[in-house]
Amino acid sequence: MYALQYMAAALYLATGVAAVLGLALPAPKVLHGARWGLLLGAAVQFAAFATLHRLDPAPSLTDLGYAVAVMSWLAVLFTLLLLARIRLPGFVTPVAFVAFLATFGATLHRPDVIAEQTGTTIPHAHVLLASAGLAALGVAGLAGFFFLIEHRSLKKRRSVARRVAMPSLEALDRVNRVALSLGFPLLSLGVITGALWLDARSGSLWSGSLHETWMLIAWLIYLGLVVLRFVGKQGARQAAASAVAGFSFLIFAVLGAGVVS
Amino acid sequence: MKIVLLGMNHRTAPVDVREHFASDEPGALLQKLVDRPEIVEATLLSTCNRVEVVVTTENPDGAKYALYEFFARDLANGEGPAAGALEELTYLRQGREAVEHVFRVASSIDSMVVGEPQILGQVKDAYREATEAGVAGAVLSRLFQRAFATAKRVKNETGIAQRPVSVARVAVDLAKQIFETLEDKSALLIGAGDMIEAALIALHDHGLGERKVANRTVANAEALAERFGGTAHGLDELDSLLSDSDIVLTCVGGDTPLLTRARIKRSLKGRRGRPLFLIDIGVPRNVDPAVHKLDSAYLYDLDDLQEVAAANEKERRRESERAERIVYEEREQFEGWMVALQAVPTIRNLRDRAESIRSGEIDRFAGRLRLEGGQNEILEQLTRSIVNKLMHSPIAQLRDETDREAGLIRLEEARRLFGLDATSDSDRDASRAPLDDSENELGEYADAEATENVAQASPRLEESND
Repeated sequence: MYALQYMAAALYLATGVAAVLGLALPAPKVLHGARWGLLLGAAVQFAAFATLHRLDPAPSLTDLGYAVAVMSWLAVLFTLLLLARIRLPGFVTPVAFVAFLATFGATLHRPDVIAEQTGTTIPHAHVLLASAGLAALGVAGLAGFFFLIEHRSLKKRRSVARRVAMPSLEALDRVNRVALSLGFPLLSLGVITGALWLDARSGSLWSGSLHETWMLIAWLIYLGLVVLRFVGKQGARQAAASAVAGFSFLIFAVLGAGVVS
Repeated sequence: MKIVLLGMNHRTAPVDVREHFASDEPGALLQKLVDRPEIVEATLLSTCNRVEVVVTTENPDGAKYALYEFFARDLANGEGPAAGALEELTYLRQGREAVEHVFRVASSIDSMVVGEPQILGQVKDAYREATEAGVAGAVLSRLFQRAFATAKRVKNETGIAQRPVSVARVAVDLAKQIFETLEDKSALLIGAGDMIEAALIALHDHGLGERKVANRTVANAEALAERFGGTAHGLDELDSLLSDSDIVLTCVGGDTPLLTRARIKRSLKGRRGRPLFLIDIGVPRNVDPAVHKLDSAYLYDLDDLQEVAAANEKERRRESERAERIVYEEREQFEGWMVALQAVPTIRNLRDRAESIRSGEIDRFAGRLRLEGGQNEILEQLTRSIVNKLMHSPIAQLRDETDREAGLIRLEEARRLFGLDATSDSDRDASRAPLDDSENELGEYADAEATENVAQASPRLEESND
């Protein structure tokens, strides 16, 4: 049953390696072909998800390892959609490696117990919506990170002498804008369904746990970023830096807060 | 058959000499050249940096003389340097050196700007003109087809053509790092000189959307704008032009910067973070260097661009070492094909001789044997089978030899051992007939089947030439 997951992880790894080679040689055809590897990896990972319920015990979608795998799968799909519309040479590379780590990590993390049965679809809706939001905002953060590197390289006047093809500043800013405008509503829906799940379990929308507190702060930060980006006059570089900082905080709120506590 | 090349280029002769030998319509001249008995096929490559004539011949010494005469009398029309001085201004290549030279030229390794893409098109034009004039036959067709394939390999397998080496192209390359596409972008060009024109051509070639030319003398801006479908403006409109331009290129005179930090800062306010790319190729500089510190403004001056262009050229030269290896491999293959081609008449003569002995002996003994019905047919099959089996090994060895020197020695030995005549004139003439599909008929010399085709193709070529 795990064979498909291993296969998907291997495909992502091979795609990442091919993309690195495509960048380093440089070989634009290899780089362009790497997106097909990503697509194949996503297809195999989908097949893996489709067969997971046959496991005994069946891992729940609310299990963290699998939630991260779903998030990376959605990020891959989102990246593939962006690649079809925007010229993003080299963008496949980090996405493929992140997808590999998340997919392979999920195979190592095998929960011993069957997850809590709530009898409703709200937990799954929460995980799917929050994962989709995190995936889109993750792509925004990645685009922001690339933007900052490219911007620095242009300011230091180093970019003209390099061999590696990178996405243009304009393309990265577009990715950031699209990802933020899609990711924030999904994250908001994830937060709302999370509160509804809590209400179904304990009869209250707010329990004051560390995870909820940090998630609320992260959501408020993103609300501010969205306002600055779409209503205010935030420049492309500031938006890129905000996307990196915002996603770092979000990851801490989802994963780090639990570890710290 | 030998290949001989005589040429002059930017390294051997200055432009005022080269210009005497330039030719726009080589067809008639080439026709005149192949009318000479020493020359079988010919092509003429004439560009601003080189003039080269490649011929095939059975008489290399005579061909050399004919080529020098062709340069002095037909190309220069008697107006060039004296025939005695021509040897110092030209280079002569023969055999493998000539093949290698053609491959190097087509691959742009021999160009003034290594890796420049125009030369391949010029070589293709030269070959096409020779074909249309009916002066490029089997050998030159094969030579040029392999030259194009070599150029393609060099382009795909090395980085020789990847990095721009002109200031204008470096600027376009930079613009592509900032903007996803240039099609919806607007460029403001301040000035109307040669540098601005070169940059405008490069931007135009890459599909730039809108072009605005601003100059102190509006009439000059109008002339340039008209040629590239842009609009012309005076320098007094700069502030309004800046706010809706994405690329600004300046090259005007003046002691103080035309575009100050304050001016650019004002124009950036209305752009909502959209980047502004400024290229300052004016000397003294037209843009205040402090502009580069503004967040969305990226300023590059002439020194930045020239430094990159020089570094790229150095990189291309490094890549040309890898390209030389490809040229070497392709030359080896071509030489193998040449050996296979030269083996064709010998193989055919050998077969003809064996067949004539076989049929002669059958005729001689037919009366004495008094065979009936199907027995004649059996005897035919038997003798044919014996001859084929005897001939198989020598023919296979002749056609499978890929080393040029060894191949030629083996051919000579075979002709002597079997008492074959020297290559006939018709064999030589057959080479001038162009091949419809050189890959299928003469391309795969190492392939036994293909070599059989070579043997079968030549009589057909003779017929078509008759």
